[in-house]
Amino acid sequence: MRILLIEDDRLIGDGLKTGLEKLGFAVDWFTDGLEGEEALMQAPYEAVVLDLGLPGQDGLTVLKNWRNRGRNEPVLVLTAQGDVDQRIIGLNSGADDYLGKPFALREVQARLNALIRRQNGQNNPLITYKNITFNPQTLKVTADGKEIVLSPKETALLKLLLMNKNKVLSKETIENKIYSWEEEVSSNAVEVHVHHLRKKLGKDIVKTINKIGYILGEE
Amino acid sequence: MKKLSLRLRLMILFIGFSCLIWAAAGIICWQESKEKIDEFFDSYQMLLARQMASADWSHISPQTQNITNKIIKNIRNADDEDEAIGFAVFNAGGQMIFHDNENGKDFSFSTETGSFEKQRVDGEWWRVVRVKSVDGKFYIAVGQELDYRSDITMDMVEEFLAPWLGGLLFLLLLTIFIISKEFSPLKKLASDLENREQDDLSALQTDGIPSEVRPMIAAINRRMAQIDDLLKRERSFISDSAHELRTPLTALKIQLEVLELAGNDEKMRNEAIQKLNLGIERSTRLVEQLLALSRLESNQTQNETYEQIDWADIVKQVEEEYAAAAKEKGIVFKNKTGSDSVISSANPVLCALMMRNLVDNAVKYSPKDAVVKIEINENKIRVVNSGTKVAPEHLKRLSERFFRPAGQKESGSGLGLAIVSRIAGLYGCDLHFANTSGGFEVKIEKAVSHLVS
Repeated sequence: MRILLIEDDRLIGDGLKTGLEKLGFAVDWFTDGLEGEEALMQAPYEAVVLDLGLPGQDGLTVLKNWRNRGRNEPVLVLTAQGDVDQRIIGLNSGADDYLGKPFALREVQARLNALIRRQNGQNNPLITYKNITFNPQTLKVTADGKEIVLSPKETALLKLLLMNKNKVLSKETIENKIYSWEEEVSSNAVEVHVHHLRKKLGKDIVKTINKIGYILGEE
Repeated sequence: MKKLSLRLRLMILFIGFSCLIWAAAGIICWQESKEKIDEFFDSYQMLLARQMASADWSHISPQTQNITNKIIKNIRNADDEDEAIGFAVFNAGGQMIFHDNENGKDFSFSTETGSFEKQRVDGEWWRVVRVKSVDGKFYIAVGQELDYRSDITMDMVEEFLAPWLGGLLFLLLLTIFIISKEFSPLKKLASDLENREQDDLSALQTDGIPSEVRPMIAAINRRMAQIDDLLKRERSFISDSAHELRTPLTALKIQLEVLELAGNDEKMRNEAIQKLNLGIERSTRLVEQLLALSRLESNQTQNETYEQIDWADIVKQVEEEYAAAAKEKGIVFKNKTGSDSVISSANPVLCALMMRNLVDNAVKYSPKDAVVKIEINENKIRVVNSGTKVAPEHLKRLSERFFRPAGQKESGSGLGLAIVSRIAGLYGCDLHFANTSGGFEVKIEKAVSHLVS
């Protein structure tokens, strides 16, 4: 789950990036409004966390520009301005959700999960496939009711596959979605993760499609 | 002791004095009447005595008393008027030869004539006068009971004073009514004030308020307007402060959660702890700055003593304080502090606070290897840091509290220049900002209005 974070406060930005990464998201962090706006065009993001007071270009303008250009990634707006007017302007400018400072990391995570779930047309917070259940908030995976321990990247890969059931995902797409800019990706990283998933969850969980990519479910 | 209300005091004083004056008038009236009545009855008594003195008493003896008694009785019956007069006639030997058959028979004998004297007769006090008969052989005593005189006096006084008493009662009622009526606008004002909402600081109505009190009401209204203004500023300061505290609090909260998430990850944990420390330092600095500004805004520094300021010493101390931070960025200080300064007499703590904020900004926002120039002379205090520029649209807003151009890499409260501006203002100076060829310049100069005056 790759997330675009645009926040100019060093401590908040750093905390969100570190924390969300620990919680299984791949996070690209920008502190400048202009750079952040452009970043959305460069990689496939599941959701955006956007601060409003930004240098270069303020958050509301960034948001409006995206919507004008037809981008429909879910956007969670962060702001210190707790007043109702500001929230209404934010939501009317295309924000999908709103968090007033001070907020908790867990809440950001929960809201991001909810936004992504909704974007994928899903209402149940638990994602199930055959005998496997995945909880995006706690990141717990169970098979036949038994908890399976996965590494953060394996969790991210499983979540990605579960959310794109019955769709073929190329190796490149998977890399882009589970790794952020600054992370080193070895050439066989995805293969290794898939291998581990099969080992832990059963051989048929992921199918390899003719060197095009991987699929969970049927083509 | 609680003072009685003005209204009550006026009433008590007015009523008290009215009664006192009325009582005094009554006493004077009684005394005057008594004197007049005494005079009147004395002459009456004397007249009677003289008439009796001119009569021929030589045929009268104690033995004839029985006959005369009858005559006297008849006279008394005919005329009910009892003026409590008694009389007696004595011969030269002191023997009573004739009396009125009533109190007169108890009159004592004396050769003292012509004067009135008080005498006790049958348990009552009598006023008695004695005269010698015309032929010199008899003594006549005529007396009157003093109680009777008193009764007559009291009757007269009562009759005089009765209408006055009515007048007095009417006057008192009128006093109470008028004072109550005149005080009602003040009473209403007081109850209005009493029943006000706690934070209602709107002006008091002066309708119907007597002109003596109006200046007081106007003064109260002015004061209330000032308090209102102060409260509004305080409230906005508090709300701004709370607002500004949200960002560092969010950072702390998130870093704490990161610390919790770190689990066994040593590196992540250490980083989170370091960030938490940074966050706490940042919050502490913000709170310190908030306190400094709040003291300046509430004018708590106004009464502080002024001292001769040694700017060279202050600059030296501040430079030492920031030496480490400056060295890290390769920043060099250059300072030209003259012996005279635009702010020469002031509070040294505030001057140091001002200089620290200026140098703090200069070091924070200068690029690497910049030069920070500090110049102090009789015209200005000037701090220039090379290589920094501030966007023109931001220049004017720099001294607003909490104003920070977005996206600062350095942490700051956004209060430093607001504090500098307030302190400069305390000493009649203005704060100016400019982008010059030498870099970003902050200048403190005497305010124009001060130069004119």
